[in-house]
Amino acid sequence: MSFVDILRGIFEGFDVTLIVTLLGLAYAIPFALVAGVLQHFSQGWLRLLVTILIEFWRSSPLIVLLYAFYYSLPAFGIYLSGIAVGAMVLGLNIGGYGSQSIRAALQALDRGQVEAGLALGLGRLDVLRLIELPQAITVMIPTFINLAIQLIKGTALVSLLTLTDMTFRAKEISQLSYDPVRIYSSLLLAYFIVCYPVTIFGRYLERRASEGRRSISEI
Amino acid sequence: MTPIHELSVHNNAQDTMQAPAIQIENLSKWYESFRALTDVNLTIAYGERIVICGPSGSGKSTLIRCINQLEVHQKGRLVVNGVTLVPGMKGLSAIRRDVGMVFQHFNLFPHLTVLDNCTLALRRVRKLDRREAEAVAHANLERVRIPEQADKYPSQLSGGQQQRVAIARALCMKPKVMLFDEPTSALDPEMINEVLDVMTLLAQDGMTMVCVTHEMGFARKVADRIVFMDQGQIVEQAPPSEFFTNPKHERAKLFLKQILH
Ligand SMILES: Nc1ncnc2c1ncn2[C@@H]1O[C@H](COP(=O)(O)OP(=O)(O)OP(=O)(O)O)[C@@H](O)[C@H]1O
Ligand SMILES: [Mg+2]
Repeated sequence: MSFVDILRGIFEGFDVTLIVTLLGLAYAIPFALVAGVLQHFSQGWLRLLVTILIEFWRSSPLIVLLYAFYYSLPAFGIYLSGIAVGAMVLGLNIGGYGSQSIRAALQALDRGQVEAGLALGLGRLDVLRLIELPQAITVMIPTFINLAIQLIKGTALVSLLTLTDMTFRAKEISQLSYDPVRIYSSLLLAYFIVCYPVTIFGRYLERRASEGRRSISEI
Repeated sequence: MTPIHELSVHNNAQDTMQAPAIQIENLSKWYESFRALTDVNLTIAYGERIVICGPSGSGKSTLIRCINQLEVHQKGRLVVNGVTLVPGMKGLSAIRRDVGMVFQHFNLFPHLTVLDNCTLALRRVRKLDRREAEAVAHANLERVRIPEQADKYPSQLSGGQQQRVAIARALCMKPKVMLFDEPTSALDPEMINEVLDVMTLLAQDGMTMVCVTHEMGFARKVADRIVFMDQGQIVEQAPPSEFFTNPKHERAKLFLKQILH
């Protein structure tokens, strides 16, 4: 098989990779936001609860979580598709990391920002929504892009749940024609082709965010 | 000297004319076990311009931050615009709307343009629509003499310009009282006057002002009363003419000697 044929074969799995990534983001972003903000503001048992939840998703091995949810949930009468399990596990894992950078970004923000908002008569939630989060999220763009790329790469694991993503396709092709060097270097190239535009997009976002406000730290 | 009655600018002037803008009685505040304010008494009438000074750590910031409850007091009575502030009370934002604050480090919102810095609270809190809010913002940027910077971001302005924007942002809410916490001490010397000039204009317009500042020239020119603090207490209060020529308290004498060389 030619290099191009192999790549084309691998990209037949692109739709699964894409869907798991997008659904994963749909878990990751809200989870990161809510958990990060709650951890920043809450105290006592609520904080403990949030922390436990974050640590569970962040610190457990992905492969174990995938198997645990895919193979053991049916024992409780819960049947989830491979895509559903893959997106949830990968998304919440990445979201767990994201929550920590949201919390850190909120904590790093100058206290004067909150005070200025409160002094104007804004409510605490408005201050969070209109003043703290926009700044925290801007600071987080590079981290966020990193996490998105990690998520894309992580989707390779769903091939273990027999989903035909790009990695699964590569394994299928290697069963047809034994040529691991070509096939797996094509697979690496395939992931690069998918991930690199995300990096570029991230740089674009960063540039846009920093336009006109070159020195947040100065203030 | 104290033009308590020249106050037609303020809304609700008729209910508030007689009552003081701010009434502080036996106010005490602790940070953990450290007592930052000890039984402070201070009454400020509408239209009065107060300058608070005193050595570093004497509790000046703490005192004015209690007035809008950025710091919560533990003891004593605090009445602002007719509302008694109780530690931990609800509805603080309604009180803060009418009390503008200008900070040492400006605290402009770096992710918003100058105009949006000014309109944010007008739209969210005062519920004006964009056009009305921008009209108010432009008028106040005009007032601090920087209407041409409306579309810039704070980081594109000089320190003095940023502080004037911060003043405009506070003025947009039409506060009845303005608090200033060392508004010029983070500025390069050549920018101090542009901010003081704006504050002087405000004073001439009859704004009730409480200013923590070490700008004694400004204090002499603008203040109705100087409040001198030391170790969490007000140790002397006097009109500037008296305070500068004949300070009574030892600590005030020393302070003036240091600051006026
Ligand atoms: N958040 C805080 N926690 C603990 N102690 C504090 C806190 N804020 C202020 N203090 C202490 O309270 C005292 C009064 O502080 P405050 O900031 O009111 O003084 P200040 O007169 O404004 O001084 P400066 O001229 O340096 O601004 C100081 O001894 C200070 O160390
Ligand atoms: Mg201070």
